[in-house]
Amino acid sequence: MMARAGQYSDPHDADDDKTAQAAFAALLEDSAEDLYESAPCGYLSTLMDGTIAKINSTLLGWLGLARSDVVGRLRFTDLLTVGGKLYHETHFAPLLRMQGQISGIALEIKQAGGGRMPVLVSSVVKHGTTGEPLLIRTTVFDARDRRAYEEELLRRQQSAEEARRQAEADRARLQDTFAVLQQSLLPDTLPELPGAEAAAHYHTASPDRLGGDFYDVFPLDGKRFGFFLGDVCGKGPQAAALTSLTRYTLRAAALHDPDPVSALTTLNKVLHERYSAGGDPRYCTAVFGTIDPDPDAGRLTVHLASGGHPPAVVLRADGTAAYLPTPGGLLVGVLPAAPFTDASTTLGPGDTLLLYTDGLTEARTGKDRTSLYGDEALLAFAATQAGRPPHAVIEALGGLLTGFGDGLDDDTALLAIGVPSSDDQTSEDRTSSTR
Amino acid sequence: MNALKMSTRDTASGPVLEVAGDLDYLNAGQFRDLLPTITVRPGQRLVVDLGALDFCDSSGITALIAAHHHAQSGGGQLVLAAVPANTLRILSIVGLDQVLTIHPDSEVATGA
Amino acid sequence: MDVVRRNNVTVTGNPQGRTVVLAHGFGCDQNMWRLTVPALADDHRVVLFDYVGAGRSDASAFSEDRYASLDGYAQDVVEVCEALDLRDAVFVGHSVSAMIGVLAADRAPERIGALVMVAPSPRYIDDDGYRGGFGADDIEELLGSLESNYLGWSAAMAPVIMGNADRPELGDELRNSFCATDPDMARVFARTTFLSDSREDLKRVRVPTLVLDCTQDVIAPREVGAYVNRSIPGSTLVTLDATGHCPHLSAPEATNEALTEFLAGLK
Repeated sequence: MMARAGQYSDPHDADDDKTAQAAFAALLEDSAEDLYESAPCGYLSTLMDGTIAKINSTLLGWLGLARSDVVGRLRFTDLLTVGGKLYHETHFAPLLRMQGQISGIALEIKQAGGGRMPVLVSSVVKHGTTGEPLLIRTTVFDARDRRAYEEELLRRQQSAEEARRQAEADRARLQDTFAVLQQSLLPDTLPELPGAEAAAHYHTASPDRLGGDFYDVFPLDGKRFGFFLGDVCGKGPQAAALTSLTRYTLRAAALHDPDPVSALTTLNKVLHERYSAGGDPRYCTAVFGTIDPDPDAGRLTVHLASGGHPPAVVLRADGTAAYLPTPGGLLVGVLPAAPFTDASTTLGPGDTLLLYTDGLTEARTGKDRTSLYGDEALLAFAATQAGRPPHAVIEALGGLLTGFGDGLDDDTALLAIGVPSSDDQTSEDRTSSTR
Repeated sequence: MNALKMSTRDTASGPVLEVAGDLDYLNAGQFRDLLPTITVRPGQRLVVDLGALDFCDSSGITALIAAHHHAQSGGGQLVLAAVPANTLRILSIVGLDQVLTIHPDSEVATGA
Repeated sequence: MDVVRRNNVTVTGNPQGRTVVLAHGFGCDQNMWRLTVPALADDHRVVLFDYVGAGRSDASAFSEDRYASLDGYAQDVVEVCEALDLRDAVFVGHSVSAMIGVLAADRAPERIGALVMVAPSPRYIDDDGYRGGFGADDIEELLGSLESNYLGWSAAMAPVIMGNADRPELGDELRNSFCATDPDMARVFARTTFLSDSREDLKRVRVPTLVLDCTQDVIAPREVGAYVNRSIPGSTLVTLDATGHCPHLSAPEATNEALTEFLAGLK
């Protein structure tokens, strides 16, 4: 090991000494003149007016010119392309004058064969003893490889920029598509109910993901109205497809037989048939109901059924709120035959029926997901709103949802149907409702 | 957030799948991927022991429904054991407590 | 809009003296006048500014539409004059700025009372009997080079291309040591400068005018200086014994002498 290391590093090794001396002697023979002429860069000295006074062989070789053609005959700018000339006159020369030096400027020189060679040029002004500028010394470096590299950089940067623009456009288009699809899953407006009012709210958890909550209110037979609200499992395009199927199946089923249990049973058959094969069960929870208004009596009768959906809340004019239980109703689409539970109630002036999806009751109120808003809190909140008309109840709940902030990470649908008390109706409302 | 941990064992009455941690949107897929590896023979019970389950969301419910279908397709039956109160509440809202067999613990569930 | 900020307007010299506006040309900024200002400062109020896209102007004010013609730049000059409420100022424009000054004087005759055109050219491209010094091909090559960003890249340019958010000082350094400015804006300025044809505008000049050209200038050859002199009635031509396109830098004494003599001769 020692001997081997010595071969490289021991200064007292006799053979190595000789070699080093010989190399050094050879170096001494490399005269300053030869060094100037054959340096790996171009050297150029010009008078202050640009006339070339001295030039080395390397640069002459690049230019393909004889020394006699150049010295005293050409100016530095004559070596440049027209673009380079203009750049020299507008940027390079003024800066050199102002700063006394300039370095690393990319220019192109013309070669005798008509070629153009990218170079990096640095210049410094030599001053006389009294400070007057005497001449300009210039070095010219071959920048062909560098130019190729820079072109590659520029190309990459341009394609990265293009890709980024494309991605942004795609994303915007996708969001537009989502928004349109999402809107197709929800009604634009709710119909006017004689002597009653309906109001709804939809909270989208993420603009990028199609939500799976849905609701609708629609006329059935000139007198009665149908309504539903529900939640399909999952998110994204599959959930949207399921929502679409659910929404249109319920509307069609209701026209055929508006009985709530029948409508949900039809939906159950359709979903089970569509999704039971393939080991990827898809289902929804839903409340479906009918509204039978009696404007003369200032009342309406609600008949509804639930398939695995949280129970509706009834807010009464007297300031109380209670769940309308529908126990035992099963998720829709899970089993070929499913039990659904129905219930009825009558709403008088100041009474409101509230339907919601579990985004509301499952909203996190603490740091982890064990502290959820819950059924009891909802009932207590509902009691504070009891007696108020549907749009006011929905507005208050919308505020509640906003208050959850990040705790609300699921889509949430709200639907309220009620008979406003006469105090709540504006004269305009009264006019329209008696028409 | 807790990771999902699952282990299986065989008993005289059929396979037992013990689930610990969170059965949610993020990892319900693991549960469903595991199902085809569990063999349920005709007349057997597939017991899913939820005693150490911390959290179950709608994706978790979907996974349990898949387990129900898996047991049925083998001619057997799904039995849920030791269901935590919050999950039981969700099962009751969606009506699955009426459809699935639920036992207080896996000893009872396996009939041991 | 704050024109003074937009164009980085600087006012120096003798507040009592007649105002001289010094306007830089393509490729640099008001620093170009550093050897001129001392010669004027005793007797004149000196106004300097940067065109939008050059020097320390407000780059956010840049508009490709506005600056696609010399009129846009001339409008900036008029706005600078208005912002300072200049009356009867002497406008000294270098290179393309000489033509911008002609347009500005035409628009706001009460504000610009005399012109000094340093190395002017109303048309760079040769054209049926007119010799501007360049073929259309030459100018296309220059513009092509600028568009591909090759010309004038310094050795430190690659990191700038790649975005230098982690080394913001690099950009500053380039800005400070270079007249060269935002490449996109420089490209627009170059296109406007070298493709414009302002020969007709020369005939409308009605103020005392000094034309300065150089014995050796590849950008504005002597024929062009003579052409400008001929086209502006009553103008004076002085040919400076100077090489290059920037006599105020390469031959400052001769330039200052011609300038001060002209200023002294004004009423």
